[in-house]
Amino acid sequence: MDNKRTKAIKALPPLRRRQVLGGFAGVAGAAALGGLPGMAFAAGDNVLRVRANANPSSLDPTTGGAGSDHVFLYNFFDTLVDWDPATLAPKAGLAAEWSYPDANTLVLKLQEGVTFHDGTPFDAAAVKFNLDRNRSASISNIRTDLASIAAVEATDPLTVTLSLSAPDTALPLILSDRAGMMISPTALGNDPEAVVDRAPVGTGPWSFVSWTDGEKVVGTKFDQHWRQGIPATDGIEMIIIPEDATGLRAVQSGQVHIAYQLSERQSVLVERIPTLRLVSGPTLYINQLYVNASRGPLADVRVRRALSLAMDRDAFVAATQANIGEPAFMNLPKAHWAWSEEAAKLVYFNLDEARELLAEAGFADGFDLDLRGAPDQANVQRQEVVLAQLAEIGVGGRFTNAPIAEAAGRYFGEEKQGDILLSAWTGRPDPSLTYSLLYSAGSYFNPGRVAPPEGFDAALQASRESSDQSDRAAALDTVQQMVMQAQLTIPLSVRYEVDAITAEVQGFEANLLGKPKFTDVSLS
Amino acid sequence: MLNTVQRKMLTRRLLQTIPVILLATFSVFMLLKLLPGDVAVTLAGENATVERIEEIRSQRGLDQPLLVQYGQWVLGAVQGDLSESLLSGEPVSTTLARVFPNTLFIVLYAVALSVLVGVPFGILAASRAGGIIDRLVMVLTSVGVALPNFWIAMIFVVIFALNRSWFPATGFVSPFEDPLAALWYATLPAVALAASGMAEVARQLRSSLVETLQSQHFRTLHAKGLPFRSILWKHGLRNVSVNLLTVISLLVNRTLAATVVVEVVFAIPGMGNTIVNATLQRDFPVVQGAVLVMVLTVITVNLVTDVLYSILDPRIAQR
Repeated sequence: MDNKRTKAIKALPPLRRRQVLGGFAGVAGAAALGGLPGMAFAAGDNVLRVRANANPSSLDPTTGGAGSDHVFLYNFFDTLVDWDPATLAPKAGLAAEWSYPDANTLVLKLQEGVTFHDGTPFDAAAVKFNLDRNRSASISNIRTDLASIAAVEATDPLTVTLSLSAPDTALPLILSDRAGMMISPTALGNDPEAVVDRAPVGTGPWSFVSWTDGEKVVGTKFDQHWRQGIPATDGIEMIIIPEDATGLRAVQSGQVHIAYQLSERQSVLVERIPTLRLVSGPTLYINQLYVNASRGPLADVRVRRALSLAMDRDAFVAATQANIGEPAFMNLPKAHWAWSEEAAKLVYFNLDEARELLAEAGFADGFDLDLRGAPDQANVQRQEVVLAQLAEIGVGGRFTNAPIAEAAGRYFGEEKQGDILLSAWTGRPDPSLTYSLLYSAGSYFNPGRVAPPEGFDAALQASRESSDQSDRAAALDTVQQMVMQAQLTIPLSVRYEVDAITAEVQGFEANLLGKPKFTDVSLS
Repeated sequence: MLNTVQRKMLTRRLLQTIPVILLATFSVFMLLKLLPGDVAVTLAGENATVERIEEIRSQRGLDQPLLVQYGQWVLGAVQGDLSESLLSGEPVSTTLARVFPNTLFIVLYAVALSVLVGVPFGILAASRAGGIIDRLVMVLTSVGVALPNFWIAMIFVVIFALNRSWFPATGFVSPFEDPLAALWYATLPAVALAASGMAEVARQLRSSLVETLQSQHFRTLHAKGLPFRSILWKHGLRNVSVNLLTVISLLVNRTLAATVVVEVVFAIPGMGNTIVNATLQRDFPVVQGAVLVMVLTVITVNLVTDVLYSILDPRIAQR
């Protein structure tokens, strides 16, 4: 065997240096030439490519749990009610119009000629099936959103009547969220306990093609969409790139058309790149401290007020958001229709007053807190700023970090670990939902399950009894002043949308919800 | 192909891999369990009761003693069942079958580049040892070894993808779908990964070759009147082939590990990205499965290297 091999090697012509170098050059040349045919990667194929920052938790609106899912879901599902991007005021969606014939009844009139991607007609029976599934199926994560609905009736093929257990004018905007995303009953086999988490079938602008975990979610144009000329692109590819810097490079190189929710620091870079346009604006996303008012010193409202007064929110925005954003004085951004000037005046920066309040409460020498948070770089930076600002009034402590879903689970859940959680409130389309979820006595996001200020429930209910926006804003003003006086949360800053788009992208705008929609986007 | 001695060597090596696999997977399993965090709390979502969290722990076997959990995983793995992702529910074997070829393609591309560039430079430097070209090659290769892969990757992206648009800045195309596009997409990551490999191959080859060429055996060949070219190409390279093979096999293993960072920079859906994301989300079955595949790859590379050693130098198999 060995002799054979030796002979075979000897039989080979001697390898010469020129041959080696020539071969190397040949390989390099072939590689260079080989690259050329594929170089048209930014092909004009009228497919919208979007950089998404997270894999969806589920493509079934009823069973998913991540706020980052909406951007995917909007592609495949229309909602019963739509909203104005700048103000979040409700407008017609799959429901062409709605009315309250009395305080406990909401009637939805549906669009005509709408079909699901699988050809199933969209009608009142389909809406009843979806709403009943969302409010009562065991697999539903959004049952509490629809808690005010007592019964759903398909009055005629295009009319749905909702009987309410109490007046609830927040419902139209609730129906612009997950609860209003309509799934084909046929795709679910008419079984409310079935799920379409890997194969969504809705009425949205694109029908589902594929989902490769951690890589991309693909949709193709739904030709029978009920809105004329929608969608304007033949397909959509949501390319999942979790890392922000890589996401920006992808849009800079033209491989994707849109990269949304970049970090605030990247807005400066986007502005410097001549081929990109920055789309920015306020969102409902509020960085805030959740306070467990049932624990130790935090049970005293003077202590909670002192912590809030110690927060220099302008410095917080400058240090953690590169000055992109705004200080938060309540759980809503300034641009929101329900923003309250009076409530905002209750939240300010005053170290002397903070120290006085602590002394009054018997903590003149300060105390230590058990703080919770998430371990990523941006959150750790926020934690450092918060700790430095608390130290100014003698309050110390340390953060224990875990992935945010888990940190939140341990803080809000039955384990009730930690005094304070530094996290965010991602907002809800209707502000009354934000306030009931954050402050109601039994609410999950009220970690101490402490009773809200007296009159809170009545004021909140009052905000749901009128469908007139100015009446509602006035009622919510009372709610907001109550909760900011009680300081059960300490809002810190409003996050701004930071999106980079290429010159080809037309019709894309930021929205107050902070969850981009691509329905009206076209490519020039 | 293999003689009795080589077969015995191969069997011995294969048996030795069993404790290696067990030790590696057990270490990773225990390290993952040491991480703070509880995936059951994450899976339970908002409004979860303690009972619901316990129920999830029980369903996923997370309430079992650690050794039982590991034993169950090993039993499944032996039967080809690597369990399912805790988060997406996708079978781990399906995930790995999708992402591993991508990583393997980039690793092989990077190693091929390292050899194609490193070998000529190593020969060039050795044949002119002490001269200007030798010094130049040594300086360049020192830089290549010193620069971190991720930094080179970033610089390449800025120059060749963002400024020149010669290559894509991110993404990946499977070689099974479109081989040319796959090469094009993988070029920047492969070059970034290969930068230190090229330098290492060149340096190691140069040093072995210089030592060999200065030995008494080669002095004798020279005294016999053989031209330098013949000494270098016919005798010198054959004598250093075992060393070169060692460098290449180490390079394959190291490049495999280096893909973790480079895959994140280029958004490549490969093993590195999968391991990073799964670890951050405490998706233990995915991390365990991925580590098993990485360990098996390294063991296979080492086995192939051993076999090649025994072919190049039959004395090695007898040791």
